[in-house]
Amino acid sequence: MNNSTTSAPGRSGNASIRLGAVDICKNYGPVAANRNVSLGIAPGGIHAIVGENGAGKSTLMRIFQGIEQPDCGHIIIDDTPIRLSGPKQALNLGIGMVHQEFMLAPDLTLLENLVLGNEPEAHSLGVLSTIDWSQAKRAGHALARQTGVRVDWKRHAGGAPVHMQQFVEIMRLLRFGARILILDEPTAVLAPPQVDDLFNLLRNLSANGTTIVFISHKMNEVLALADTVSVLRQGQVTFEAKVCDVDVHTIASHIVGGHSDKTVKPHEPAAIKAHSTGTICNVRNLCVRAKEMSHPLHDVSFSINKGEILGLAGVSGNGQDELVECLVGLRMPHAGTVTLDREDITHATNAQRRRLGLGYVSADRAKEGLAASASVLFNVIAGSHRDRPIKKGLFLNPKVMRTSAIERLTKLAVKYGRLNDVAQSLSGGNQQRLVFARETASEPTLLIVSQPTRGVDLNGIAVIHEFLKTFCDNGGSVLLVSEELDELLSLSNRIIVMADGRIVGETTAGSTDVTEIGQMMVMQGAHNG
Amino acid sequence: MIADQLIAAAITMTTPILLAAMGGLVNRQAGIVNIGLEGKMLVGAFTAVVVSSITDGWLPAVLCAALAGSLVGLLFSLVITRANANMIVAGLGLNVLIAGVLGFVLNWYFDASGTLRLPDVTLLPHVLPSTVSSIPVVGRTLENLEPLTIFAWLSVAALPFLLANTRLGLWIRVSGNAPQVARAMGLPGKNVQDFSTAFAGFFAGLGGAHLALASIGLFNEGLTAGRGFIALAAFYFGRDKPVATAMVCLLFGFLDATQIRMQTAGLPPKLIGTIPYLLVLIALCIVGWRASRKESPS
Repeated sequence: MNNSTTSAPGRSGNASIRLGAVDICKNYGPVAANRNVSLGIAPGGIHAIVGENGAGKSTLMRIFQGIEQPDCGHIIIDDTPIRLSGPKQALNLGIGMVHQEFMLAPDLTLLENLVLGNEPEAHSLGVLSTIDWSQAKRAGHALARQTGVRVDWKRHAGGAPVHMQQFVEIMRLLRFGARILILDEPTAVLAPPQVDDLFNLLRNLSANGTTIVFISHKMNEVLALADTVSVLRQGQVTFEAKVCDVDVHTIASHIVGGHSDKTVKPHEPAAIKAHSTGTICNVRNLCVRAKEMSHPLHDVSFSINKGEILGLAGVSGNGQDELVECLVGLRMPHAGTVTLDREDITHATNAQRRRLGLGYVSADRAKEGLAASASVLFNVIAGSHRDRPIKKGLFLNPKVMRTSAIERLTKLAVKYGRLNDVAQSLSGGNQQRLVFARETASEPTLLIVSQPTRGVDLNGIAVIHEFLKTFCDNGGSVLLVSEELDELLSLSNRIIVMADGRIVGETTAGSTDVTEIGQMMVMQGAHNG
Repeated sequence: MIADQLIAAAITMTTPILLAAMGGLVNRQAGIVNIGLEGKMLVGAFTAVVVSSITDGWLPAVLCAALAGSLVGLLFSLVITRANANMIVAGLGLNVLIAGVLGFVLNWYFDASGTLRLPDVTLLPHVLPSTVSSIPVVGRTLENLEPLTIFAWLSVAALPFLLANTRLGLWIRVSGNAPQVARAMGLPGKNVQDFSTAFAGFFAGLGGAHLALASIGLFNEGLTAGRGFIALAAFYFGRDKPVATAMVCLLFGFLDATQIRMQTAGLPPKLIGTIPYLLVLIALCIVGWRASRKESPS
């Protein structure tokens, strides 16, 4: 196995800081993504970097990888200040990054993917030389032993389980000589038992001297895995500690900072009002078969009452997206029924459901929620184009279109330049408010909302939360799917928990807390995976 | 006797399609669908006839045809990989452009319309002594065997190994399958794609040379008659696998050969001539249907 030949300055086992940052600043126009960030990560440790969306984690990681250059400050590798020119140099110095999207070619075998870019040659004919597969296999087996993972190297990467792909990507970085592994939310795509496997692997690596940095926003993972933790908030390191010295609440309060009264306040029982009774939506024994890249649903049943917010919690990728798609008519279940206002809509089209009073705020704002390159005007009017007076004869009435667009946008305080600006020119929070403005214009009785505050700034979050509450006070119902447990706890009347395609628990918001729900999300499915 | 002739004709008819298809499948494995094979075959055929007439030798003619094909291929590739042109539109454009330019050159320089007859065109030599013709069934095939047919079938045997086991082969496959991965791993993805398109041009050029120099020894504007597209269908149907693709080429070659025989039997020739193309359409439908079956849950 030929490791990288570029020698790291002062590459030695006794460096006091393996990877560090000193006073790093990075601005994107007026936005300060990183402000005087300083970090020091000791060799062989596992360091967690936590923070909200937009706290500056990704920017910092891009700087560590050499993709972005800091405006001021510098990074440190093995106690030596370094300026990185790009990912290749970072890798040569031993910094390897595992992205959320794996960098494996699906049609190639895992072994082929392992050696990609650094193929062992049977004889030296340059690019025409044949690959020494037996040497590749030996390297693969050695890495598998080192990490404590069993790998079927002949398998195509595309057909291998997701965690196996991740492990092979980690092994490939190790084979390139990575001594520092940076993992960007590595558990986001994994089921709970696979998370355990990953953590075991990372612990093995750490014990053998690899330094590990992982980005996360899941507290339980930080506590389970990390030795040290840094909290980033609004581009600054606001808190650093050894994990053994802190508890969840301390970390959480530093993550949300001054707004802690807004987002992590315990639920006020007063907010749970018994609204008008009766169910608006009834889901019975819904089953969906697994297709490529999707999670099956097993016998999902629940109902949504009139005037309530029903929260749906779960680790992402446990079937929530598939359930939402079944409810809005983008995916057909193979068994079970869905009723809306006593009408069977199991096999209705999305348009039919919308006519019955369904609104849908997609988790994938850029692709499903908005036509990103179309104008603000068209985005907020879309779906109403058949309704009079916006439709006039065969054509649209531009005047009415504009006035009703402005009316809708004002209602949610969307900040935009001109109506003809493209939707993607708005900030994340305003884009999301635009989606809400459109979806509620038809006065739906049931709003299905998935990850409404993902990538939305704090002010936008407040507006959206306030809006959802008002919507329910006026008699509407909401299914709120979110990975942010605090959001679910502060908004929902009831919370159902999903794991491995099943509903594994139900609780009322007043009688539970983050830990209980977190445990339901994580513990369930561990025995049947 | 008839079987004899039929097999010999089928093998001869297969060679140009096979050569173009081998180039095209490597190209497609690297992620470029080469619609321009037809044009490159035409360039190869033209070059082969001209060079053969000038040098009086088949080998320089074949080599120049291949080089001309790969040069056109490389330029075509740069248009796609560097100028980000759409590969389908660029390929169609290339075919029209080449047909137009060759037609112009025929008129302007050779003062010929449509067909170019040159003196002293050397045909491809037969490699085996004529005594082999006495062998039953395959005798005539062996007698007709020339270097390009042998090369074509050798490449069918060698390509699976080369693609699977060389560094370049691995790079070609990853460039087509996951270009972003190739980039992330520091591989020269675009160069690999350019190489593969030049490679396809090389093989298409050889295919054109075979069309011109196997037996007729002249160039005609309609010489390729859609064989570049038949090759395209062959590697689609053969899922870019050399051996499977070769079998499909053999089938098309066989149909081509029977078609000619049926014409002599008095059936309407134009109608019979459409059979291979009809089969291409059916083949593509089958490929698509099989792919959609594979995606749906079992």
